[in-house]
Amino acid sequence: MLKPILTRLLNHLITQNSWARAELIPFAGKSVRFNMPPISASLTILEDGGLAMAGDASQPDATVTISLPIALRLLAKDEAAAKQARLEGDTELAMALSKVMQNLEWEYEEDLSRVIGDIPANKIATFGRETVAGIKKQSLNAAEMLAEYWQEEQPMIAKKRHVEKFISDVDTLRDDAERLGKRFDKLMEKLEKQAVGNTPPNSTETPSS
Amino acid sequence: MTDSNKPSTDQTHFGFKSVAESEKAGKVGEVFHSVAKKYDLMNDVMSAGLHRTWKRFAVEVSGVRKGDRVLDVAGGSGDLSKLFAKKVGPEGEVVLTDINASMLGVGRDRMADEGFSIPTLQCDAEKLPFPDQHFDCVIVAFGLRNMTHKDKALAEMQRVLKIGGRLLVLEFSQVWKPLAPLYDVYSFKLLPLMGKLFAKDADSYQYLAESIRMHPDQETLKQMMIDAGLAKVDYYNLSAGVVALHKGWKI
Repeated sequence: MLKPILTRLLNHLITQNSWARAELIPFAGKSVRFNMPPISASLTILEDGGLAMAGDASQPDATVTISLPIALRLLAKDEAAAKQARLEGDTELAMALSKVMQNLEWEYEEDLSRVIGDIPANKIATFGRETVAGIKKQSLNAAEMLAEYWQEEQPMIAKKRHVEKFISDVDTLRDDAERLGKRFDKLMEKLEKQAVGNTPPNSTETPSS
Repeated sequence: MTDSNKPSTDQTHFGFKSVAESEKAGKVGEVFHSVAKKYDLMNDVMSAGLHRTWKRFAVEVSGVRKGDRVLDVAGGSGDLSKLFAKKVGPEGEVVLTDINASMLGVGRDRMADEGFSIPTLQCDAEKLPFPDQHFDCVIVAFGLRNMTHKDKALAEMQRVLKIGGRLLVLEFSQVWKPLAPLYDVYSFKLLPLMGKLFAKDADSYQYLAESIRMHPDQETLKQMMIDAGLAKVDYYNLSAGVVALHKGWKI
């Protein structure tokens, strides 16, 4: 019973994001499987550019594999994370659908307005947006405050400049150690040459002291 | 062979009974003549209104767009034709067909009452009166199991499809195993009883229950569609497999 509901939702989203239809129509009839262990889902592109959940016997034309951390980064709109998804099969199709899925936006204000009217919907949506923005700002503030506390009062986190100094010290130490090693090798070489030069040519016995 | 369960070459199933192939269409006709007037009420009662969800899902998965040409085979009371008519808009076309005049009459009247004027045709699905490659989508909902030669009917539907067109088959199917005993009680005890109460016709509903059991399961029907020349056949189990929606492409 889940598939009809999800299909209805997907089609609703595609209708709201009318640009998506044009992107998908060239791939009509193809299916893409999204693997995000432990769950996976297959989507089929319909002839009108809509999206449906694929059936129980569908053969995917492309597969997109995403690990959970990458999926979370994608949700947070981290562009770099998209490159870490693994694409197999028809990559052009997988790319097109992934792009659409990433950029689909739910116009909740529009949907809400149909139930409760334009003005209340706008008020609720504005309130929602302000609340989300407020929470984001507050949590950022709190994080910064905690970081400062742990750096200055209870040093649990190292300061950036200390870390940089430590790293450059490590580099200097490594270079010094390598130089010392080289010098030591050279000295050894010299010592061997001297030992060879001192040995009498027709005697195999080592001279006793 | 005297095995009465196995129909010989010119015998076919009519519910759990075996009848001569030439008789099946007539017998199915009697059933639907008898239930036509109360068909929609009974559908709602029997499926608890779910048949509407199944049909709407079929229309959504069809991918039909404005201006498309759709054939509704065995469409009877016209539920699907109405949904499709909304989807294809005035520039598209939906054709409603059924072999049974009583059912078709109910469907046509209802369409007219609701303001849809769509061509309505009485014809046999095994001999469709349309040229090759004529439709973008052909759908048969709860009709295939009543046809005498399912393979011929599927091949005909494939013939009238355009290249890139879709055939959708919405039909009762094999229910999820753990639920099978419950479903048995429902369909053999409750269904005829409800038929008696609401439509005063227990025998017809007994036939409906039996014909559902004789219908091929998901994988068999998928193979039949492939044999009929369709490609990339996929199916959806709806309501735990009570109903399955098959979709195949002509390529």
